[in-house]
Amino acid sequence: MAQCLQSVQEFVQDSFVPMVAVLCSEYAEKVTRKNNLNFSELVRPFCRLTSEGHMRDPNNQIHVVKNLKISVSNVVTEPPHHATTRRLLNEVVSASQPAEGLVTNVITAGDYDLNISDGSLKASVPWYYSWKDTLMELSKSKFYTATTPWFEAYRENFLQSMPASDHEFLNHYLACMLVVTSHEASPVDQLFKLSQDQHRIQHGSEHAYPKWFIPNTLKYYVLLHDVSEGDEQRAESIYEDIKQRYGTQACYLLKINSRTSTLGPDEQIPDPWSQYLHRNNLQNQELPEEGSAVVVNNVENSMNASETDGLHLPAKDDVGRVNSDHPLQLDDPSNVATHMECIDDIKPPGTGPAVDIRKQPCAAPATHGACLTLGDHDRIRLFIQEFTFRGLLPHIEKNIRQLNDQRMSRKGISSSLISATKKWFGGGKVPEKSINELKNTSGLLYPPEAPELQIRKMADLCFLVQHYDLAYSYYHAAKKDFLSDQAMLYAAGALEMAAVSAFLQPGAPRPYPAHYMDTAIQTYRDVCKNMVMAERCALLSAEILKSQAKYSDAATLLIKMTSEDSDLRSALLLEQAAHCFINMRSPMVRKFAFHMILAGHRFSKAGQKRHALRCYCQAMQVYKGKGWSLAEDHINFTIGRQSFTLRQPENAVAAFRHILINDSKQAASQQGAFLREYLYVYKSVSQASTEGVLPQLPLPCIHSFATRVFFGHDRRLAEGEKQAASHVSLDQEYDRELSQQWRELEEQVVAIVNRGVLPAAFQPTLYCLSNQTDNMRFPLAVVEEPIIVEVVFRNPLKVPLILTGLSLLWKFSPKEPGQQRGGETDEVVSNEREVQASQGGLITTEVISEFHMSPEEKKVARLKLLPHQTGELHIRGVVYNLGAAPPPGDVLNSTVGTRVEGSIFSDGLFVRGRQDLEIQGPRLNNTKEEKTSVRHGPDRRLDPIITPPMPLLEVFFINFPTGLLCGEIRKAYVEFVNVSKVPLQGLRVVSKHPEFFTFGSHAAALTPLSPGASENCSAYKTVATGRASASSTLVAPADFGTGADGSRPGVVEIPLPDSTLQPGASVQLPMWLRGPDREGVHEINFLFYYESAEKKVSKMSHRVLRHTAIICASRSLSVRATACRSNTLPENSEDRNSGMLVFVDVENINTNEAGVREFHIVQVSSSSQHWKLHSCINSVEDKDSKLTSRERGKLCFRATKCRSAEATSDAVGKYTFADINLGNEQIISATTPCADFFFRRRHPLESKKPPMLGSAGFAPPAGHTAAEHLSNVVCRCSEVDLSIIVLWKAYVVEDNKQLILEGQLHVALQTIGREACSLTQKEEAEEMVLLKFKPDVPPPLAKPSVEQLSQLIKTNLHYPESYDHPFPQKSLCMVPVTLMLSNCSLAEVDVIIDLRHKATSPETLEVHGSFTWLGQTQYKLPLRAQEVRKLRLTACFIHAGVYNLGTPRVFAKLAEQGSMCEASRQSATPALIIINSV
Amino acid sequence: MAVCIAVVAKENYPLYIRSVPSENELKFHYTVHTSLDVVEEKVSAVGKVLVDQRELYLGLLYPTEDYKVYGYVTNSKVKFVIVVESSNTSLRDNEIRSMFRKLHNSFTDVMCNPFYNPGDLIQSKAFDSVVSSMMVQAC
Repeated sequence: MAQCLQSVQEFVQDSFVPMVAVLCSEYAEKVTRKNNLNFSELVRPFCRLTSEGHMRDPNNQIHVVKNLKISVSNVVTEPPHHATTRRLLNEVVSASQPAEGLVTNVITAGDYDLNISDGSLKASVPWYYSWKDTLMELSKSKFYTATTPWFEAYRENFLQSMPASDHEFLNHYLACMLVVTSHEASPVDQLFKLSQDQHRIQHGSEHAYPKWFIPNTLKYYVLLHDVSEGDEQRAESIYEDIKQRYGTQACYLLKINSRTSTLGPDEQIPDPWSQYLHRNNLQNQELPEEGSAVVVNNVENSMNASETDGLHLPAKDDVGRVNSDHPLQLDDPSNVATHMECIDDIKPPGTGPAVDIRKQPCAAPATHGACLTLGDHDRIRLFIQEFTFRGLLPHIEKNIRQLNDQRMSRKGISSSLISATKKWFGGGKVPEKSINELKNTSGLLYPPEAPELQIRKMADLCFLVQHYDLAYSYYHAAKKDFLSDQAMLYAAGALEMAAVSAFLQPGAPRPYPAHYMDTAIQTYRDVCKNMVMAERCALLSAEILKSQAKYSDAATLLIKMTSEDSDLRSALLLEQAAHCFINMRSPMVRKFAFHMILAGHRFSKAGQKRHALRCYCQAMQVYKGKGWSLAEDHINFTIGRQSFTLRQPENAVAAFRHILINDSKQAASQQGAFLREYLYVYKSVSQASTEGVLPQLPLPCIHSFATRVFFGHDRRLAEGEKQAASHVSLDQEYDRELSQQWRELEEQVVAIVNRGVLPAAFQPTLYCLSNQTDNMRFPLAVVEEPIIVEVVFRNPLKVPLILTGLSLLWKFSPKEPGQQRGGETDEVVSNEREVQASQGGLITTEVISEFHMSPEEKKVARLKLLPHQTGELHIRGVVYNLGAAPPPGDVLNSTVGTRVEGSIFSDGLFVRGRQDLEIQGPRLNNTKEEKTSVRHGPDRRLDPIITPPMPLLEVFFINFPTGLLCGEIRKAYVEFVNVSKVPLQGLRVVSKHPEFFTFGSHAAALTPLSPGASENCSAYKTVATGRASASSTLVAPADFGTGADGSRPGVVEIPLPDSTLQPGASVQLPMWLRGPDREGVHEINFLFYYESAEKKVSKMSHRVLRHTAIICASRSLSVRATACRSNTLPENSEDRNSGMLVFVDVENINTNEAGVREFHIVQVSSSSQHWKLHSCINSVEDKDSKLTSRERGKLCFRATKCRSAEATSDAVGKYTFADINLGNEQIISATTPCADFFFRRRHPLESKKPPMLGSAGFAPPAGHTAAEHLSNVVCRCSEVDLSIIVLWKAYVVEDNKQLILEGQLHVALQTIGREACSLTQKEEAEEMVLLKFKPDVPPPLAKPSVEQLSQLIKTNLHYPESYDHPFPQKSLCMVPVTLMLSNCSLAEVDVIIDLRHKATSPETLEVHGSFTWLGQTQYKLPLRAQEVRKLRLTACFIHAGVYNLGTPRVFAKLAEQGSMCEASRQSATPALIIINSV
Repeated sequence: MAVCIAVVAKENYPLYIRSVPSENELKFHYTVHTSLDVVEEKVSAVGKVLVDQRELYLGLLYPTEDYKVYGYVTNSKVKFVIVVESSNTSLRDNEIRSMFRKLHNSFTDVMCNPFYNPGDLIQSKAFDSVVSSMMVQAC
């Protein structure tokens, strides 16, 4: 808010003061010059009168004149030069700048923070709820004085430099002081001469300019006496002489220069001139013409230069990047920017005496009044007072009287005055004629003695002596006269002054006639084309309106006054208007901002760069961050430019930065221009500052959160047929599930290494840190292994960018973990200062020489560091040269002359800077405190600890397939290479799919070690034998790395020779793979674990290597197998009761008919602890075991129990492998690949198995109920636990080559009668499990069903198939029948045999005829475990025919549980006998 | 027809601003932003008097040398500003009113879009076409 330091009344009063001219003799000039002042300057500080004066008005009323100020100035014979005035005002404004470095007060109100007061706010304003309140508060507050001193200075100087006009008399000379000294030869003559001069100036024809109020101007004769030089007596006598000549009232003796000695250093004399100092310089209107012209030219030239610099900067930038001849090069702008300040020092070439006057105060500014004592000051003050009260006021009073008398004597005019006085209060009601109706009569001039002018003159006199009501009435009268004469200029002047005097009237004034002012302004401007007068009028009016809180009117008025002819005025007025807007009752912040921008624009056009910058900065406060991005960019851009031209490059850089950071809506070309400008400014800043720390760059944006850090080498994935382990790479996306899997695998292997316990400090090894990983701990990196940081850059602009010399910034402190270096402080090394200087072999920093970014592109850069020492590394940020890429059109050029242009680029449009990588950790949310506040944990991604060397393993796979048939066996090789300088040991591999691969058993190291030799070999070990032979082997599962209980090995130790791998050594090991049982794509994760062979010096206990194999499995065969009890007991009593039939259904379910021709079942093997396949039953010779597509074959085998001797003698947990080969060669299933995979197979029902399986003893555990026991017994009876291995060969055509693939499928038979399948049923797996909220009551153990019980006992009838009997001879036919009973269970069973026929339907018996059993009809036999008994029976027939002998009913019950007898009937198969009659 | 149409959020940041001819974009941004002061003044005046609260149309906000600025405030304090050329005398108050109504309807449609997040910049094609139907066709 533009508040004056004076009140409005004071201001208006001071705008119109009595003017007094001074004419000095040469000697007088010399005397005053001793003080570095001329006479008018000498008296100026004392021109305001502190005491009251009195005078009488025409009605003889005493009128008090208070606080009068007079203006004393040298007579100027030339009207002020227009350009000079302009220059003066310009200088005044630019000299008055807001104080810098003061406390800036920021007003925060509502949504706007405004700092509009430029440091003159005296109280810090607290927070207010709303903007409105704040401003209300502020405008009321006395503390709040936002001043615009430049505006006041401008206004004051403007008013003082107003040329005297004919239509008013206010700034006409009212009196003239004639000054001589006592030293002159004849002061009286001199005075007379001066008086003559004055008369000549006033009345002579050659001097038109200085206007004089009244023809007989008051002449005041001053005799100056220099006390230090002159003779006081003489002065007195001369004074007496003068007094006699001119009268005592008009003479004065002024004694000055009393000080004889030079000013002591300790003496303090107040220097009242200092505040007038610059005005003295600027207002000096006595410049000789040629001098002033030159100065003006100079100023204008430099102004032009500065304007061109400011305005054509972009153009020049656009034209070329060559800045060698740029006007803003470093030596140049000093002139441009500082020319305003040093303009005083510009000396015109023609040095006249007046130029010296002007120059001297500058040269010795502190020496004003050096010869004056305080007494002299008082004398001067008294002199002025005397002059005013004795000379001036009576003179004015006399003139008013005279004029009044003249007026009264004129009839016509008096009547008009009377009518005017009558309408004292009705003045406003007189209908004003519209300006437009009036003909343009501004040219009309009254003669100086015209009666109309006399009234005006009288009014002016009254106004000057503060008699405002009288002045108003006179002005009002004059206005009417002028209007009636159509003298528009005069009328406007009268209107203006009428309004001002109406405002200044004391007491209860009439309302301020604002319309007078408006009319006046309009008339001045439109009719008279007198902008200067219009401006004065507007300034007064605006001030008055503001004092009456009519801000809106004031603003309108001020804005109306802006025009094209003066940028400075427009700027100042717009700024004032803006301040008016913000002072309104409901402040218009946005209007304020907008007008500030307009003002800033005009200021910059006027060459007032500082003010322009200030305006834009203030407007910025409103626009900042409000989403008006275009406007914001514009302001920022202007601020940047202005700051730059004002040599505030830091601010410029900041402003340009803003434009670039925000997502701008600017067009691409505009952005390109912004960028180039920014780079240019930035470059000049960075050249200027020689500090080593690089500044921050705004572009491109870094997504620091997405930064990833990778430890380790870039791996080559494939090398010929070698395929490296996939491990981890930056190309992989983070996958939470996957990383959890890896973590589990690592935990598993670490637990096994640490004897089953996971160490408390265990942390999974992380090779790639991203925002998903846990970065709370310092990551570990190994010396001599690279650290790759992936930084995500985003180019927000629509123009391409080039980054060159992109590298990481780091800080390194070589610390030995665990070792304290006594006393020696760890020096911290960093490459921040200078990249090359401090590298010192500590860390190699890779530099990306060029990094292109397309418009709006997001791109990652991978930056590498290679540490050579252990310690702590901190990656701080990135450093690079930023440059604008040439527009697409230039590409051709640049390709032609890359060298040349490249060098230009690097010189010109590339700037070096840095950007820090600051990663905020995840938000903490554990404790209550953390939950309630927002806290972030540390993120130590970029602060790795460099540890001593660790072994580094590389794994290559040779002949590793990508596609397999289900169950296919393939042999591959793995190569382990230790690429580090540290030996490696404890190599292990862990996988979730151990059934997928095997490294072979310890026993079998027979296979050739080189992959080349095995190309056409079968993966199996074979022995040529005859067809359909059977053999069996006994194998302990431990040999295959399996636990005795059949648990699958997750972790496999890899059999390294010597169990270590020396540095640089490599080992190739065979590896067998088996296609997964289920078709589809399988991802199989291997985790290789290894340790350093050296003692643990590193924090890293182990390292891991990951590999993910992707296997595509396609369908091969489906094998279903069923086992059933054979009812026929073999004659061979050895295997009496242990016969079982195994049916194997094999179906070719391969869908790839073109590729896979046919499958051959090569061999069927069994593996079990108790059973073995004995022989093939359906080995029909003509039937080949070939299966083409969709064919199905059935094989039938007999299985027998292993000999108990074998089972008991060797080892309990051993498995018997029995091979039945259907081809010519036998595959030894008990050796490496086959048996390995058998043991590693999935156990689909493992978990469901009752616990008592295996070789555990039979004794029922205590506490088991009888029912349980029973069911156990029954279950065990039907338990089989036989695994069938079907080995097959597939003939595959691939690329016109026939391949033979081999494979094996496993079927585990568990129970008699239940079908088992090689494919695990999907339905089973996907079966939905109901969520259970309370544990189910375990189902009551079902009593074994009849069926199950019947399984306990196997019955068999032996009889002849047909029996001939001569019935005619012997009517009764007796046939011996043997009933064989065998107990299948391991418990003692009582068997009851009932031979009686069931008498269900006696009719049927009779119809069919029947037979009867002879002898005992019921038997009860105890059968021991697995006992076989024969029971001889006899059947008796009476007719020939076919009979079913299967009538005996057999009941079984467990011996120990007498009551639980259950019936069992086993006569499912009819036992037919044919009785022939012979 | 309008030369600039703007939608300004309750918090006085622009939701949508389009002008024609496009090279004067900056000027229109300033114009619209400055007009918000007048809108606020008018709205607060209405609030005081409590007369005719339903009237959303604010009428002519202020004339500049070349343009006339009209304002409209929805019940949710979203402001619509339409700038027309002063030389265009064919536009009466009623036409301006109907333009605003049309604009309001279209804006409501935008708001009803479940994928539109209130407070985001408006990027609806339908809205765009409604606006362009009201704009001066750039030659």
